[in-house]
Amino acid sequence: MDELEFRKRVYANPRNLEIEVVDAARANPEYQKILDDTLGFEDSLGSLLESPEMPEGILERILSIPAGEKIHEAAASSNVSPIRAKKESFFQYYAIAASLILAVGIVFSLSSNPGPSSADIVFGDELLAHLHHDIEEIDHITGGETYAVLDLAEVNSSMANAGTRLVSYEESQNFEVRSAKPCEILPAYESAHLVLQGSQGAISVIVINNSPVDVEFSIRDDRFEGIVLPMEQGNMILVGEKNEDLSQYASLFSENVEWAI
Amino acid sequence: MGSLRIRTASNLASLAYIKNISNLRKIMSEPPVLEGSTKKQRYESLVAALYQDVFRYAFWICKSKPMAEDLVQETFLRAWRSLESLQNDKAAKAWLFTILRRENARQYERYRPELVDIDGQSIAERDDNEPDSKMDRELLHNAINRLESEYREPLLLQVVGGFSGKEIAEILELNNNTVMTRLFRARSKLKLEFGLETETDE
Repeated sequence: MDELEFRKRVYANPRNLEIEVVDAARANPEYQKILDDTLGFEDSLGSLLESPEMPEGILERILSIPAGEKIHEAAASSNVSPIRAKKESFFQYYAIAASLILAVGIVFSLSSNPGPSSADIVFGDELLAHLHHDIEEIDHITGGETYAVLDLAEVNSSMANAGTRLVSYEESQNFEVRSAKPCEILPAYESAHLVLQGSQGAISVIVINNSPVDVEFSIRDDRFEGIVLPMEQGNMILVGEKNEDLSQYASLFSENVEWAI
Repeated sequence: MGSLRIRTASNLASLAYIKNISNLRKIMSEPPVLEGSTKKQRYESLVAALYQDVFRYAFWICKSKPMAEDLVQETFLRAWRSLESLQNDKAAKAWLFTILRRENARQYERYRPELVDIDGQSIAERDDNEPDSKMDRELLHNAINRLESEYREPLLLQVVGGFSGKEIAEILELNNNTVMTRLFRARSKLKLEFGLETETDE
């Protein structure tokens, strides 16, 4: 191993060296000195980087966030639509069910294959946040307010924003698109947001031309459940109200969406 | 060794306990297991396990203690709102760090003036009273802040976050070889500033 290669390996990860790097250091006093110097430097670096003092009271402030959110939610709930208010009582049952699912999920996830990456999970959070940003239209459709059904040209006009189009609307007559518009979820990535009428309320179909996620995964919050599907040149996300069966829409859309080259 | 299980506190009276557990987990370098049947209990165990690491990381990417605290609070607020999406407890730390990076990019990067704690006021003094120690730490502090973010970020994730090369690659959405090269260059640049390294072609 030449000196540059030795330095590369030591500097890249001085606290977790491969055995051949350690052997090379033992066999060569110059290499050993490089290693010793680097570890000494690493002590100083680690000590400095870990030294910022915690601001006084920061733990208390972070722990009080849920209480603050409850106040915020209570204030917001006084302004919710009648449709939303009607659903509130059901959320108690959902919460109990969700807790049970969560508990099972934690145990299961620890023993199963790795799921989505942290970046993908945060992407899922951004998607849900986007839905809540656009909540008014979703509330209207979930509440049964009548919206005209859009034709293929209108739908594709919005989907073109994300570099996609529906190739055949006719084969997909099981759904009716009530709203279609370009949207911005992640800076620098184009996306489009369709809203359909599902059996439980509005269903959002979002296409975005960012890097496909590593694996298909589900997203959920207190109100919505959805799936993120990696596609050829981006991702497709389907999100509906709780208990909506999204599988039929997932297959319909994934078979009918074409990405521009 | 089994995972360290962290008991949750239901109110602020348990702060001392949380702090102790947090320090203990840090020493043992174990991933947190978020114990508790309610969302609030899960959240409390997440905070107890990771708030110090998250703050330190925030401090070094913001270069400002007040901004770091704002960033940490915003990160945990988003974590609270999205806690259901965290399905694998082992990914909790990477998840929080990723939220923090995104939040930093969103809120501060474009608008933040260049802030550097030159006097190291936010850095705890060490117990040793060696005459050169404080000066060296300030020099190192400034050298870290001068590193380009492409080198500083993986270095912070490795040293502060304790992430492996593969985990860093995932968080930064880079390949593993690129991460390793950047870590090499980050340390080379720092050592160069201290005269511990000569210029190389790499």
